[in-house]
Amino acid sequence: MFKLMKYEFRKTWITKLILLGITAAVESWFLVSLYMEKEDGLAASIAILMMLAIFGVLFIGLQSVITLHRDMNTKQGYMLFMTPNSCYKILGAKVLENGLSIALTGAFYFALGALDISLLFAKQGQLNQVWQMIQDIIKSFNEEIPLTSDALAAFTFSLLAGWITTVVTAYLADVISAALLNGKSFNGVISFVIFLVLNWAFGWLEGIAIRNIPNVVTMMLVRGGLSLVVAAVMYVATAQIMEKKLSV
Amino acid sequence: MEFDANRPIWLQVMNALETDIITGRRKPGEKLPGGRDLALRFEINPNTAARVYQELEKTGLCETRRGMGTFVTGDETVIASARNDFIRQTVKNFLQRMAQLGETPQSAARMILREEE
Amino acid sequence: MLESKEVTKQFGSKTAVDHISMKLEKGHVYAMLGPNGSGKTTWMKLAAGLLKPTYGMVCFNGEPVSIESRKHVAYMSTEPYFYTWMTVKDVGKYYQDFFEDFSYDRYLTLLKQMELTENLRTKALSSGMMAKLKIAVTMARDADVYMLDEPFNGIDLLARDEIRACILSYATEEKLLLLSSHLVEEMEAIADRAVFIKEGKLIENVDLEDMRTQQGVSMADRYRQIYGHTEG
Repeated sequence: MFKLMKYEFRKTWITKLILLGITAAVESWFLVSLYMEKEDGLAASIAILMMLAIFGVLFIGLQSVITLHRDMNTKQGYMLFMTPNSCYKILGAKVLENGLSIALTGAFYFALGALDISLLFAKQGQLNQVWQMIQDIIKSFNEEIPLTSDALAAFTFSLLAGWITTVVTAYLADVISAALLNGKSFNGVISFVIFLVLNWAFGWLEGIAIRNIPNVVTMMLVRGGLSLVVAAVMYVATAQIMEKKLSV
Repeated sequence: MEFDANRPIWLQVMNALETDIITGRRKPGEKLPGGRDLALRFEINPNTAARVYQELEKTGLCETRRGMGTFVTGDETVIASARNDFIRQTVKNFLQRMAQLGETPQSAARMILREEE
Repeated sequence: MLESKEVTKQFGSKTAVDHISMKLEKGHVYAMLGPNGSGKTTWMKLAAGLLKPTYGMVCFNGEPVSIESRKHVAYMSTEPYFYTWMTVKDVGKYYQDFFEDFSYDRYLTLLKQMELTENLRTKALSSGMMAKLKIAVTMARDADVYMLDEPFNGIDLLARDEIRACILSYATEEKLLLLSSHLVEEMEAIADRAVFIKEGKLIENVDLEDMRTQQGVSMADRYRQIYGHTEG
């Protein structure tokens, strides 16, 4: 299992390295701007860092869907599927490696954000404008989130868990397309429709589950936990279909 | 060794070994390569190599001693008689060919002597 | 050792393998023959467990091919399949990570025979070098069954001798080798049985030496007899 994960990481580590490199560059820009008290530089670097955090996490998930797609639809997949590993293990390694990557990347940006914000706080008087911008961006995601660290952590958790679930949903849709609809016309469209339906069904289920939870933090935690349960169920379904039906 | 793919390969390898034995390139009592070695040396299938020895044994030119391998027979009269058979067969083939060309054994013999000079 | 039971594979409306039933036993080198598109590659992929049959099954030692059989069946696909980021060394390490019967020492010996070095990038290999690498990494496994799809493709005359020798050194009583190739002459002497496949169907599974002894017919002759009239 660990070996499979190692190779999953090996397939994607260059993107992750590039992301880290860009982040380091922008972070240095932020620090220099902070030191020299340049409002323009601060605003721009913070905006870019937040973008990097959001798109970085999104991209890592997307890349893993693309990798699975390639493993099922090109000759390169022989490399994976000729090894004596069950599809539960093969897919499990993908889910774990990617889930871990998303979680670690999310945690990394969360920590970096926390650090940068606390640095900003030290100079809050002069930097009101920037602080306002950060609040606006967070508010644009969800109106009700109080700007406390535990609420933000719960919010980040639910976002990341939701994204992992979305990635696993995409796995399922892609596997259905490759294993069950192989050779049929419009299988790409059909699998995308399946993806949308599954996503909608999950959203609906989630809506019911968190309807009566008054506390925002609890609600976020329940939502995140529920996402992970759904991801686990979909993982089992996906692996089962691969095991029984997938031809590469 | 190049094979004629239309003729059994075991037969061609066997003929090669027979030639080695009757020309004395392999001495009486000499150990012959094992089945696997024979297969690798001639680049043939191991089952084919095994068949070579089975068939060669029938001619009496070699014998398999259990656990020790296959050896050229120590009985020189067998080798001599195989050599005679081989010579007779070669002459017969030659005369057959000459007959097709309209030559008698006598005229063929004269031509051979002239060729020698 | 390998038994194909009515195995059938359809891709959409096309039937690539059509109710093939046969038994392949250990201790033999089989040549699998047929023109391109006759179903050889598809059958091998079914036996390797990469394709799932539409109907029927392929069994290894009496059990349908599975994760377990992949431990004992070494399959070499005709297409290059290594990850593009890999070096020759990475390829060996990968096999070592996943196949218990893989020997890195044996891999190094084979690489040397094939005149390849560990630091070459697979992306930069010529088709001939790639073909050699595939053979080296596959034969470095100590498997019960070797299925090599087109092992002589893209390989020059001299290297073909090396590959034949390498294949023969593995042909023991305990192992089964299955080679597909359209270079029929290359396999005349090393194979002892031939499996002819035409349009997805099994034509025959014959002993080559018996065929030569009884009919005076080579594998190439038989090939022409079976497929000759269908090819321009």
